[in-house]
Amino acid sequence: MLQTLLDFYLVFVKIGFCSFGGLSMIPVINEEMVSHGWMTLSEVTDIIAIAEMTPGPLGVNAATFAGMRSAGVLGALAANLGAMTPSLTVCLLASVFLARVKGNPILDRLMFGIRPVCIGMMVATCFTLLPNYQPGGAGISPAAVAIGVVALVLLVKAKLTIPKVILVSAVLGLLLG
Amino acid sequence: MEEKEEKRGLPRWAETAVVIFKIGLFTFGGGWSIIAQLQAEFVEKRGWITETELLDIVALARSFPGIMIVNTAVMMGYTMGGLGYAVLCAFAIAAPAFGVMICVTLFYTAFRSNPYVSRAMLGVQAAVVPIIISAVLNLRKTAIRDAAGLLIAGVAFLLFLFTEMNNIYIVLLGGCAGLLVQTLRLRGAAAAQGAGKGGDTDAANPS
Repeated sequence: MLQTLLDFYLVFVKIGFCSFGGLSMIPVINEEMVSHGWMTLSEVTDIIAIAEMTPGPLGVNAATFAGMRSAGVLGALAANLGAMTPSLTVCLLASVFLARVKGNPILDRLMFGIRPVCIGMMVATCFTLLPNYQPGGAGISPAAVAIGVVALVLLVKAKLTIPKVILVSAVLGLLLG
Repeated sequence: MEEKEEKRGLPRWAETAVVIFKIGLFTFGGGWSIIAQLQAEFVEKRGWITETELLDIVALARSFPGIMIVNTAVMMGYTMGGLGYAVLCAFAIAAPAFGVMICVTLFYTAFRSNPYVSRAMLGVQAAVVPIIISAVLNLRKTAIRDAAGLLIAGVAFLLFLFTEMNNIYIVLLGGCAGLLVQTLRLRGAAAAQGAGKGGDTDAANPS
């Protein structure tokens, strides 16, 4: 049990170090949870929805949910501590040397490369999550695709907030599912 | 401000913890609204940190790996009161979300198999890819500014989707690529200026 928790913690340290804000955590969580057999793709998809609907930082919510689903409250604790490790190490160190880090050209140049990586991984994750449109593996669900299109329009054109779009999608799912 | 402290009667660290806890508990919709509230509470209301300091912190928090809000809390806490405050603020911002999520997850476990919930969640799952797409569209302009960025994103996309490469390596590769590209560009620009002005790299206007 302790070994699992330690594994869990370390995996989330890795997830923490590979994510740079907001939803960029999702690709890595997805890959890690599924490859370790801790969660199914369907459950991971739920993470995004639930983490967006609850208060507080997305990363904390995602880690807590993933932890709980895989290994109970202790798992949630381990996951959060893991995800918070970069903050408690890198950022703490940076604070101590704040004057030297601020506007540091090396950091800027690194980020020039790292930000596109996050974008690439997020786009890739969209492809990984396509099975969502074939619920139960049975074949493409036109209802799911329709809801997806509506959601996209609401988000991009109507600029609705994510929690609202999730609510609308839930209602549509109830009606059309 | 004196009145407020008398009313609360709390030592500064406790007041910090309570304020941050409340922000963490009642803020929906992501990092930026939390930051706006941190600014309102600690810069404007209490003056325990300056606006510039907070803005610099946020910029760094975004640039460093990890959960942006926790990064911000750690650095803000450190600025306000050193190591103890840094750790305090980090846990204060995470604790309410943690607590709420534990409860939500317990309900989720109980209700996920309910047929109505299943149908609703099918709809929600259909929205997830669009959510990620919209996030990508929002971030795209700051993240990818030119062909080099696009290339790096493309390579990352392929590596992530089609290889077993460890994600940390993909990120590190991206970082190195960025370092390389930008350094070469700056050298190229300096060399071009140097050629125009006989080696004076301080020249602002190449003649």
